[in-house]
Amino acid sequence: MKSTRVFQLTTLALVLVSVVQVGWWLFDQRTFTATSVAATRSAYAEQAAAAQALLDAGTSPPRVTQLLPKIVVAEGRARIAPEVSAALDAAQRSRGLQYAWEGSFFLLALGLCIAVIARALRAEAHVLEEQDSFLALVSHQFKTPLASLQLSLETLALRAPAPEQARVLIERMLADLARMELMVTQILESARLERGRVEFKSEPLQLAGAVARVIAQLEERARQARVSITASIEPQLQVMTDPLALDVVVRNVLENALAALAPVGGGSIALSARALFAEVELSVRDSGVGFAPADGARLFEKFTRLHPGGGGGYYGTGLGLFIVRRLMELAHGRVSAHSEGQGRGACFVLSWPTVADAAGRRP
Amino acid sequence: MNPAAQAAPHVLVVEDDPHLAAGVLENLRAEGYEVSAASDGEQALAWLKGTRCALIVLDVMLPGIDGFGVCRTLREQGNNTPVLFLTARGDPADRVRGLESGGDDYLAKPFHLQEFLLRVRAILRRWDWYHSASATAATAVLSFGGNEVDFRAFRARAWNGEAQELTEKEAMILKVLAEHGGEIVSREDLLEKVWGYDVFPSTRTVDNFILRLRKRFERDPANPRHFLTVWGVGYRFLKDGEP
Repeated sequence: MKSTRVFQLTTLALVLVSVVQVGWWLFDQRTFTATSVAATRSAYAEQAAAAQALLDAGTSPPRVTQLLPKIVVAEGRARIAPEVSAALDAAQRSRGLQYAWEGSFFLLALGLCIAVIARALRAEAHVLEEQDSFLALVSHQFKTPLASLQLSLETLALRAPAPEQARVLIERMLADLARMELMVTQILESARLERGRVEFKSEPLQLAGAVARVIAQLEERARQARVSITASIEPQLQVMTDPLALDVVVRNVLENALAALAPVGGGSIALSARALFAEVELSVRDSGVGFAPADGARLFEKFTRLHPGGGGGYYGTGLGLFIVRRLMELAHGRVSAHSEGQGRGACFVLSWPTVADAAGRRP
Repeated sequence: MNPAAQAAPHVLVVEDDPHLAAGVLENLRAEGYEVSAASDGEQALAWLKGTRCALIVLDVMLPGIDGFGVCRTLREQGNNTPVLFLTARGDPADRVRGLESGGDDYLAKPFHLQEFLLRVRAILRRWDWYHSASATAATAVLSFGGNEVDFRAFRARAWNGEAQELTEKEAMILKVLAEHGGEIVSREDLLEKVWGYDVFPSTRTVDNFILRLRKRFERDPANPRHFLTVWGVGYRFLKDGEP
């Protein structure tokens, strides 16, 4: 990274030097042309003066013009022939234009070089900035469960609690460890997705079956959290995506809905799907805490947690919905979130291309 | 003795992480404090509008308004309740930012339980001292050189008639100096008494606060008559001014 930057900065410096050089060359050529034309004009003026001297000495005008062909004699006066003077003017103009075109071309090419390098430098600075803020956020995300873990352990050591209180602390510590493990998995997953290092298959999948499998895995947790999950999806609806990605996307959206229901002590999650033109749309509606309508897009950014922890047993890492968005992009699909406001539930809408439309996209 | 001081001090814990909040609350309760919890800045500010407490344990990275913002808002509202920041960001710049926003102490996550409890006790002890030192009519008001300082209201009227709002640190420094009127108080003693142990990186902070007090209360801050520097040691406060 460092050597690339040195190379880019050196190239930028060389290009800037070249710009100055081209500028100087243009100025120099223009001055040189003007000086040359002026010198030629002055030489002709001397010829005109010599011709005048010959005329004054009695040489006949035809003889004078024979000796000095660029001079004309009219009414006893010798002067530079008008076509010669015009040719000099034309030569000066044509040279000027030539240099202007050539110079502009060089300057344009150099300008493009500068723009490309500056863009690369800016992009690199942006990446570094993102990495820094990513690291800061990751460390923050880890320090909180770590602090909780340390606090629970030190409480156990300091207070020798009763067995039931010790059990609460141990469960809390296990949950903190699970949270950190989930975070590591999701951070690695999001890093892989960001670098595009994923093998993304695209095959027709039955949506109802995939959703039912995820619901079955979350059923016990939902029951404990007093959440009812219902799904109404036609069995013939198929989407084109990766089977693992479909599983992760549905699971993350459902886990997000569970987290949104924890602070209100449970509720319902309703899944429904429909075919729309070239898409299949899955809606996941929950009766949870909701969010301000303006926060809809922000939800899919990294480490956004609008209702962190929520007061229940589930902790968001702030990466789940970011992963959903990236996986939906890879499937040429879309995801959006809607809520009428805090306390009014939320609806997540996932759209995949239908099988026929996705086939049309293939090269 | 102030009867409120005899009751268990009430601590408000503002932390968005339920596990950490639960751990902190349980430990504070076990130490005999009365506790309340808020999971974000807005909730904390709403709670503090109707209720008073002895200390706020405040997480920095909160959803919505962050901890620094909550602390600044409180100070702007004239609420001087001491604040102990808890944060995952523990670099010195952040630490100073926290204290500049009006915080009393700063603890980086993950922290040791004993250290946390020690700091809570230290902040409460400092405030307890301040309140009991300003409890009577005689100790609540300090008059010097035409200035009048009300320690309980954190307000003052300067020699030129100008009304002044004091920060809790300015008031505490003034209180320590006034209690030791005429004696030399070292910078370290001031730091210990007003901030506690290792909160600030240098004793220069004390110097800045003294400069602020001179600007507020000295007729000629460049040639102070009440807040005198004892070179290499600390400060001396003269109520009647240097002759």
